[in-house]
Amino acid sequence: MPMPSRGPAPSRLPAMAIRIAPIAGILILWEIAALSGIWPRQVLVPLEQVGATLLALASDGELARHLSASLYRLASGFLVGSVIGVSTGAAMALSRNVHRLLWPTFSCVRQVPVIAFIPLLILFFDVEDSFKIVVVAMASFFPSALATHDAVRDIPESHREVARLYRMPTAPFLVRLILPATVPQVLTGLRLGLTRGWLSLVAAELLAADSGLGQMMEMGRQLFQIDVVLAGVFVTGLIGFLLDNSMVRVERHLSRWRTA
Amino acid sequence: MTDHRPLRGPATDKAARRTGAVRISGLSKRYAMGGKAMTVLDDINLSIRPGEFVSIVGPSGCGKSTLLRLIVGLDTDYDGEIRLDDTRVAGTGLERGLVFQDHRLFPWMTVAKNVEVALLNQKLPRDRRERVISEHLALVGLSDFGDAYPHQLSGGMAQRAAIARALANEPKVLALDEPLGALDALTRVKVQAELQRIWMEAGTTMIMVTHDVDEALFLGDRVVVMSPRPGRIARIVDVDLPHPRDRASPLLHRLKDEILAELTREPREDDGTLVTFPGRPRG
Ligand SMILES: Nc1ncnc2c1ncn2[C@@H]1O[C@H](COP(=O)(O)OP(=O)(O)OP(=O)(O)O)[C@@H](O)[C@H]1O
Ligand SMILES: [Mg+2]
Repeated sequence: MPMPSRGPAPSRLPAMAIRIAPIAGILILWEIAALSGIWPRQVLVPLEQVGATLLALASDGELARHLSASLYRLASGFLVGSVIGVSTGAAMALSRNVHRLLWPTFSCVRQVPVIAFIPLLILFFDVEDSFKIVVVAMASFFPSALATHDAVRDIPESHREVARLYRMPTAPFLVRLILPATVPQVLTGLRLGLTRGWLSLVAAELLAADSGLGQMMEMGRQLFQIDVVLAGVFVTGLIGFLLDNSMVRVERHLSRWRTA
Repeated sequence: MTDHRPLRGPATDKAARRTGAVRISGLSKRYAMGGKAMTVLDDINLSIRPGEFVSIVGPSGCGKSTLLRLIVGLDTDYDGEIRLDDTRVAGTGLERGLVFQDHRLFPWMTVAKNVEVALLNQKLPRDRRERVISEHLALVGLSDFGDAYPHQLSGGMAQRAAIARALANEPKVLALDEPLGALDALTRVKVQAELQRIWMEAGTTMIMVTHDVDEALFLGDRVVVMSPRPGRIARIVDVDLPHPRDRASPLLHRLKDEILAELTREPREDDGTLVTFPGRPRG
């Protein structure tokens, strides 16, 4: 992607400083506010206490236990949701009949936040893992399906005509044309699906769970350990950021031909 | 519709070819535009001999691309008849190829993979397939660029790669839609010579649309001159010169003047629709 020229490239250090400036600013303000005593210390916990709690949680294995529970649910849910999502999206775009059959329902249900289904889903699935896997799967299904649908629809007619001209059989048509032509857009959809899955998972764990990052925060809230809640917020943001970042890398790598 | 004809080497004897005749009769094509039917091609009649090179010239919008799309079967909604060796055209088929005006290579595939696209419908053993690809890359002078991506090619090279792809499954008829339109004059002359050599070696029936009258005359056994609104064949000019031709031939110059005169002829009385002013009644 061409970037507008922004004059001579600044050296690495100041660029990094600019990137972390906002978050550093927030942390400093937070610390000042915490020390000022406007709110009780139990409510606005000072930074160093959150840090210490985080370290304690990390060293006694508590954090690892919750995190691995969450990541397992995220991975299984995302796998299921994105595979079904990509195939459904592709089918809706490739077949007029599938489109007629599914599109109206898809477009409606897509407008409902996954969180709204949680009360229902709790009744149908085991409250521990399977319920949350379903939540993640649903959350990542919609962005993946929509992006795939649009990507396949957006394949220019000129490409399809080449396939028709040479009478490409179905398998190579899918593997050599549809797949590579849609990879960039589909990956963007998967990336969004992963983020949505993560957000919905933490929300679901806040509402009902025995383990998981959300549950760790909920326990903290119930015991009025705001430092635990904040440690959870920090880890949630960090994990989300790392997941998104690695998806961006995959996206860039697989869309290299676009930079032509 | 898989075509299992044995693959010819590029150097098949041209005289041995008896197939590749195109017969177009009473062909008309209408497009619906804003609820109104617009006749784009009107009563086209044209018989093309096997192995013949026919050039088509005509003003922009007279339906040249439409005609080629009908011949290769990308568009099957028409009146009249198009036959290839007595079989009515109904859809695309490997015996009819097309080089689009833009090269239409897939940007995510190497040049060799792009050529392979033309062969996917045939069950060829892998080594055979590789050989066909490299033969055709050699044919258009791109042997060293099989692993290059389309964006790494010049416009002329991309166009030649598209020609290699179109020739790879050895169609009986190859339609070319301004294949050299985007090239500079020098490259153009080179690729014309290359195209002529390929045509003489392979003996494929070729139908080429071009805006360049010199090119049409240099390559064509006949030049079809079309007139617009609706698209009709205004004239068919025989170019009675053996190939390869000398561009300086006086006959070519004389025919060029004739064709240009035909193309720039004042619209006839009944061509009143040629220029219409918005808001004013036609007449
Ligand atoms: N899909 C379409 N729908 C409606 N009208 C079309 C369509 N395709 C082409 N036309 C019309 O048909 C006419 C002929 O188009 P065509 O592309 O065949 O012209 P052409 O002779 O190839 O012109 P050029 O030399 O500019 O390429 C034009 O007037 C165009 O507006
Ligand atoms: Mg055209």
